[in-house]
Amino acid sequence: MKIDIKHVAKLARLRIEDNEMAEVEKKLLSVLEMVENLPELTGNSSGLDRENPMELRKDEVKPSMKRDLILANAPETRSGCLLVPKTVE
Amino acid sequence: MELYTLSAAELAKLLREGKCTATDILDSVFARIDAVENKVEAFVTITREEAYAKAKEIDEKFARGEKLHPLAGIPIAIKDNICTNGVLTTCSSKMLYNFVPPYDATVMQKLNDCGAILIGKANMDEFAMGSSTETSYFKKTKNPRGLDRVPGGSSGGSAAAVAAGMAPISLGSDTGGSIRQPASFCGVVGLKPTYGAVSRFGLIAFASSLDQIGPFGRTVGDVAMLFSAICGRDPMDATSSKHEHADVLAAIQGDVKGLRIGIPAEYYGDGIDAEVREKVMAAVKQLEEAGAIVKEISLPSTKYALSAYYILASAEASSNLARFDGVKYGYRAKEYSDLTDMYERTRSEGFGEEVKRRIMLGTFVLSSGYYDAYYNRAKLLQRQIADEFARGFEECDVMITPTSPSTAFQFGANTSDPVKMYAADVCTINVNIAGLPGISIPCGNGADGLPIGLQIIGPKFSEDVLLRTAANYERICGGFNTVADLA
Repeated sequence: MKIDIKHVAKLARLRIEDNEMAEVEKKLLSVLEMVENLPELTGNSSGLDRENPMELRKDEVKPSMKRDLILANAPETRSGCLLVPKTVE
Repeated sequence: MELYTLSAAELAKLLREGKCTATDILDSVFARIDAVENKVEAFVTITREEAYAKAKEIDEKFARGEKLHPLAGIPIAIKDNICTNGVLTTCSSKMLYNFVPPYDATVMQKLNDCGAILIGKANMDEFAMGSSTETSYFKKTKNPRGLDRVPGGSSGGSAAAVAAGMAPISLGSDTGGSIRQPASFCGVVGLKPTYGAVSRFGLIAFASSLDQIGPFGRTVGDVAMLFSAICGRDPMDATSSKHEHADVLAAIQGDVKGLRIGIPAEYYGDGIDAEVREKVMAAVKQLEEAGAIVKEISLPSTKYALSAYYILASAEASSNLARFDGVKYGYRAKEYSDLTDMYERTRSEGFGEEVKRRIMLGTFVLSSGYYDAYYNRAKLLQRQIADEFARGFEECDVMITPTSPSTAFQFGANTSDPVKMYAADVCTINVNIAGLPGISIPCGNGADGLPIGLQIIGPKFSEDVLLRTAANYERICGGFNTVADLA
């Protein structure tokens, strides 16, 4: 078995240096080997928690957290907004 | 008698008799922290000033003769993945090294309402991923019963703080054994409640279908008291249950006459140290002498547990941890070329090796072409394991197993081999997979002098029966409440 580490890392938004690839793959393969022993089961796994259906809150307008409280943890803000690198050319 | 050695229930009694104040209790607990924390390193943050301010309020209420909750004035340590308003909450990760939540988790809100006093945030494996607290970004917590040993994990700081007398009670979280295994390693009591029994609002998510918050203490009574204070439906957590919980404090007074104890043979196999098997079975024998009925049962799917767990937990973690992107809170890489590069550098620099490994594994098992082979199969197995437990509980009221295959291991013993580290959870993970409650209590020491724990498992929402069984064994032993000698 081979894992395309570069592809998986891209999906996970992780950066793995070329010199780390082999070690990352080796350890991941050892874990995959451990999880390979699952029995053959077929079916649809959705709705398995049938005895505990989740109940959502009503969609009601209520006061929410103050903006400056939320932004206090952000790495960078400007004019009451989160600041990120340019996303549209 | 030093106040820090007393249980929460004993302290509550002294407070009501006017024999001590909440401030006296803090003086004793912080003196203990000053004396031993440099050896144990259980805390990421200590909230001394805030604690004394709260104690003053509580003492004033007592002085006015107000009727307060039994937890009023009782110091508590909280695992560092539970949000505490205005107090640093790091998940023991560089990724959240500076995160100060603007709100309290529901459990914290409930404890505040009871008057419990937060004394600090307990160290843990980074994002609760580990079995030894060695993956913490900040420090390695030592086992107070043997400083060259790990305290277990991931709630290692919460367990060690209680064992060392730095807090009478604490909260941890348990996704695959993260309360029970450190309780076992540190010789204290730890309860993983039924899935849905305790709100997770404000618990930084690891694997949402498995995570559950639960209490640690040095006595079964304290664990029962803390559980009853935090359980119950919360509209902020859609998975929390409306179940009407039994009065666990009344339940622990009951006996075990006629209680049917199942012994699942699969939990006593080759991977379990002989001395662990012997001590656990000796405890079962004592419960039998007290009137319990013991019978062998079988849970054949046990052998698939580790596989199912690491697929489900990693898949859910890869999704939950996608939120850490350097935009809204926490760490952001210093240098980057564009948005994607910022995400990648932030996450690669902010997460530790084990967290990245699980994100990679989770991403892989959910990726196109592999979903059915891994995730779907693990999900189906989860149903099979839950059904098997349900059938088992037709024959017995509780099951007793070892909590961990061995006593606490040495630092570095399993860090180079993830699969070996994962095997430390083999006795506990099925309980999470099936959504059941489980409690670990001490049952003697190994040849190395370190504690051995036994696990009691019950059907959903049977915390009262688990605690009753545990309390009976505690009475047989003459009590567990011992603080580690760290002189």
